[in-house]
Amino acid sequence: MCAKVLLIDDDRDFRTSVKSLLESSGYQVAEADSGHAGLLKVLEYKPHVIVLDIMMESSTEGYGVTYALKYLDEYAEFRGIPVFMVSSIKESPDERFPMSAEVEMIRPDRYLTKPLDIPRFLQLLEKAVASGVATD
Amino acid sequence: MSESAAPEAVVVIDDDYAMRLSCAKIVSKMGLRVEVFEDGARGLEAVAALKPGLVVVDLKMPGISGLEVVSRVHEIDPQIIMVVITGYATIDTAVEAMKSGAYDFLPKPFSPDELRLIVNRGLERRRLALESQRGEVERALLKRTFVTFVSHQLRSPLAAIHQYLDVLQRLDEAGDSPARRREWIGRCLKRTEELQSLIADWLTLARVEGGALLKERVEVDLKSTIVNILENYRAMAAAEDVALEVSLPEGETRVRGDRTCVSVLFDNLITNAIKYNRRGGKVTVSGGFCDGEIVIAVGDTGVGIPEKYRPFLFDEFFRIKDSGVKRTEGTGLGLHISKRIVSEMGGSIEVESQAGIGSTFRVRLPAWREPADDAEMGGWE
Ligand SMILES: Nc1ncnc2c1ncn2[C@@H]1O[C@H](COP(=O)(O)OP(=O)(O)OP(=O)(O)O)[C@@H](O)[C@H]1O
Repeated sequence: MCAKVLLIDDDRDFRTSVKSLLESSGYQVAEADSGHAGLLKVLEYKPHVIVLDIMMESSTEGYGVTYALKYLDEYAEFRGIPVFMVSSIKESPDERFPMSAEVEMIRPDRYLTKPLDIPRFLQLLEKAVASGVATD
Repeated sequence: MSESAAPEAVVVIDDDYAMRLSCAKIVSKMGLRVEVFEDGARGLEAVAALKPGLVVVDLKMPGISGLEVVSRVHEIDPQIIMVVITGYATIDTAVEAMKSGAYDFLPKPFSPDELRLIVNRGLERRRLALESQRGEVERALLKRTFVTFVSHQLRSPLAAIHQYLDVLQRLDEAGDSPARRREWIGRCLKRTEELQSLIADWLTLARVEGGALLKERVEVDLKSTIVNILENYRAMAAAEDVALEVSLPEGETRVRGDRTCVSVLFDNLITNAIKYNRRGGKVTVSGGFCDGEIVIAVGDTGVGIPEKYRPFLFDEFFRIKDSGVKRTEGTGLGLHISKRIVSEMGGSIEVESQAGIGSTFRVRLPAWREPADDAEMGGWE
């Protein structure tokens, strides 16, 4: 099976490079350029993993996505989907007020900083996909 | 996003059906819009969508707790007034809720009058807060998020470039395609330029804030400054199919200021007029005199600026992101810097605009006077 990754990020260049990277590593990739578009894409594309930028148009747009995934009925089947939170700012999630949906949905090792450390990212992704499939 | 004149909305979140119903009845009789929800998750979604003036929430509910609703609502909008409903024995939790930002609490059972009173008081307080503190609150929020925002702005292009190079290096080992390589290098250059202009903007801002304009006040001729800038942008305008026209008045157009800052000011206005124009459009720079001031107008035939955005136009980082509006790259600092420069020079800047037709930015600057005239005003050391 070819795992599907959804990239939600408003930086087109970041999506372009990461998409090529993932495709060359055997993933299928879809892109969305906002939290809203991302949520629509989730339903249509049914990804196995989401890579989500925290700070898009509004500084907390990424959180809106985890919130919807966690609480909205349409997204019930994605409640357990592995989500990687990506940000260009180095900050640990406990330095700011953590949002509940986020705390429950995102494992601490899935906070990544841009630019991504490629080997580490690929390794985490592989594990996430394996765990997602195992619990399906 | 904008405050409308429609009746204020009140959201009631309570898992108890009877309670929801009676609250809804009382509140809607007060002439307010009311929406009821049975759990915190749905209630919060509604709060995010409706931006109500006031939220009534039961502290004891299954699912997301009332306490959490209180803090989440304030993440959505700190100006929303929160009233919590508590059971007999939960005063402690009520206190907790007030600490997390609730406005007041209603112990069960309560009478319709008590609810009405608290809702009215709450909304009144909100109105006052909105009126008197609007600007301040916004500024305080902006300050707090400022550092995060700036580092985000500076790091994004750098991260994008870095990621391109990193991935390129890796794909190279696997035999990269030259076409992709060319495209990515092009993008890296673009993003580098973006970073350069961001840094340049920051430096100018620092210069203005550091008082460079007060220290270094020399004679600057607007006419030649503007003509030079237009010359620099001939090619850019031609590429966008925008005509540049200039009609500056005969006579003295000298002002007193910092040469770089004056250039930056008109550079910003002229590049905006080109960037936010349409193909086949034009930019007109014209001038005149009025009450000892030189008035320069930079007009365009572009997308225009919807009225609702005009109050924010000169704020730092403000950019219009409507779907109808042309998307170009930029930092959102240009007009903020321009306004700072103009006010430091004792002038003013205003905008007139019609969406879809065009905009005109009008700058007024005090005309240069010989230093002798200034001696009596305290000199210019
Ligand atoms: N002449 C104009 N016509 C229409 N919209 C304009 C015009 N000038 C400015 N704007 C709007 O105001 C916003 C703020 O402009 P500002 O010059 O501050 O920043 P910018 O153009 O985004 O970036 P930069 O500072 O790099 O020029 C712009 O994003 C644009 O939406």
